[in-house]
Amino acid sequence: MSNRLWEKSLERLESELSEQQLSTWIRPLQAVEEDDTLRLLAPNRFVLDWIRSHFYSKIQASVREIAGDPGLQLVLEVGSQKRPRPRATSPERPAPRAAAPGPAPASSPAPARPPRGPAVEEPEEGVQHNLNPSFTFATYVEGKSNQIARAASMQVADHPGAGYNPLFIYGGVGLGKTHLMHAAGNRILEHDPGARVIYLHSERFVAEMIRALQHNAIDQFKAFYRSVNALLIDDIQFFAGKERSQEEFFHTFNALMEEGQQIIMTCDRYPKEIEGLEERLKSRFGWGLTVAIEPPELETRVAILQSKAEQNQVDLPSEVAFFIAKRIRSNIRELEGALKRVMAQARFTGQPIITLDFAKEALKDLIALQDKLVTIENIQKTVADYYKIRVSDLLSARRSRSITRPRQLAMALAKEMTSHSLPEIGNAFGGRDHTTVLHACRKIDELRESDNRIGEDYANLLRTLSN
Amino acid sequence: MQAAGQQLPLEIGLREEQDLEGFVAGDNAFALATVREMALGAGEQQVFLWGPAGAGKSHLLQGACLAASRRGEQTAHLPLARLADLGAGVLEGLEAMSLVCVDDVDAIAGRRVWEEGLFGLVNRVRDAGGRLIFAAGCPPGDLGIGLPDLVSRLGWGPVFRVAPLDDAHKLEALAQRARARGLELPAEVGSYLIRRYPRDPRALFDLLERLDTASMAAQRRLTVPFVKSVLES
Repeated sequence: MSNRLWEKSLERLESELSEQQLSTWIRPLQAVEEDDTLRLLAPNRFVLDWIRSHFYSKIQASVREIAGDPGLQLVLEVGSQKRPRPRATSPERPAPRAAAPGPAPASSPAPARPPRGPAVEEPEEGVQHNLNPSFTFATYVEGKSNQIARAASMQVADHPGAGYNPLFIYGGVGLGKTHLMHAAGNRILEHDPGARVIYLHSERFVAEMIRALQHNAIDQFKAFYRSVNALLIDDIQFFAGKERSQEEFFHTFNALMEEGQQIIMTCDRYPKEIEGLEERLKSRFGWGLTVAIEPPELETRVAILQSKAEQNQVDLPSEVAFFIAKRIRSNIRELEGALKRVMAQARFTGQPIITLDFAKEALKDLIALQDKLVTIENIQKTVADYYKIRVSDLLSARRSRSITRPRQLAMALAKEMTSHSLPEIGNAFGGRDHTTVLHACRKIDELRESDNRIGEDYANLLRTLSN
Repeated sequence: MQAAGQQLPLEIGLREEQDLEGFVAGDNAFALATVREMALGAGEQQVFLWGPAGAGKSHLLQGACLAASRRGEQTAHLPLARLADLGAGVLEGLEAMSLVCVDDVDAIAGRRVWEEGLFGLVNRVRDAGGRLIFAAGCPPGDLGIGLPDLVSRLGWGPVFRVAPLDDAHKLEALAQRARARGLELPAEVGSYLIRRYPRDPRALFDLLERLDTASMAAQRRLTVPFVKSVLES
């Protein structure tokens, strides 16, 4: 089936419509040519309605004229058709997946005609899964910040449904939760290639459930999710405040647990702290094992950069890796973004070796922004706000626990996030000695390990200050 | 959303001015090179461009759509400032696109439903192996987006600042547009326009449009006195 007619019509429309109209409304359309019909598939109802009310007659006139067939039917529908993507791939990019998870009437194969039936997704040959094959344990860089979560995920993958169920992984954005989850899924498949492993984002679960309700397909929806061997569901904080979805997930959860099927969840916080989530879900989420991923410390950030550079076959000198890792502390995703910026610039300029000066130049906009944001004053203010105390308390001589702990945290953050020396930091905290700062840094390091509360406070503050 | 229809007469027939070849890079060579690669289906999976209005971000996004579309790919350009009055449902189903260009990300910052919608779109497009180009007035962290998950995803690929053109490059861009119209723009007329009239390239290009029409109607070449008489009338 060629799309020559539509291609030619697009060329014609280029002389009749603005590029803005074309690129927003017309270019997203997918054409399916049949004998006496041109079927145009719109990605959603908004586009469909807009086309219908603004461009329908223009499009119809164009296609009829080009086809030389005044009787040609033009049909508009919501839907999409699978097609090979004419694109190059880079080694790190996930390959296009086999199938969307779930009953997913949204991206249905073949022109979907409203009212669309449920579960139009044909079962793929073999067992369908939608894991990213490049997210494995081998490509996951281990550090102090994630070693427990990694070990737990591996354990679960080796004995799915048998031990820790559910596995609940929590931590801030961009710390590698999704990677770990896919790694566990891939390992489950390695052991048992026939297992039905489904990964999906909770936002997707919500959207699919709503669609299933609209299409009277809720039974198929239920049946689908209750038939899997492992359900990997990402960012469950997106269930907050969505009661019907919680209800549905609650039943799915129970059904899978009863059957001894594995559930892995990720979240940006500890289950009990998810506001707008039903108590019964919160308590169930804590039934198995709950593990945290902390923001990676400097050495791990460096190792992550080097591993990513290696995956891209780029030689990254360690001084450059340290330079980037010291400046991008917030999360791995942004670390990756910065590295990509440097690698892209090296490629475009034909730079054979990434030197420190080159990296500084490539990242100068980014660094200027970061340096502008994080000052000792800024840290003091943020910490004081966080603990609901005054900045003047931090600088004072007061030694009560409620003040000293935040003061030590603020000092440790100043050491981690700014390039000020210990004496300078001491000075900025009411003229304290540099040994006091050193002591504070060591104390906080120690407490982050032994005291969950401090660990979390530190992570939260680091995140706030880094964003 | 009315605007989409109203701009119609201005932009017809200027396709060559909106493609990537017609983009005068100035200091933005890396941003242009990245976008061009992505339009060809190679290079990065996503990129974030930020810079002031008039720096050429929308040109890059539309140019990428045009180029990819000519290779037979499905693409979508989403000017969120114009679409924000529609529901976030306009983001549904776009994972079927090979290339999605999200313009004016600023427009939805702080709007929870849109932020979640965009977050979902990024996940779906990436999962489907599609490419994403974002544009906004400032970098991801400064947009005032409430959803940290979205902020971090916007910064997943390289982030480029798109700097406005300096006068010399503006002159080059103006001359290039004039050439594309078959209009001869003497250097002194170009300099005159840049000195005396709005510095925003888009406004300059609109001026050029008026001059083109006037010179055709009057059968006159572009000279400083003629330009003066047209623009002051």
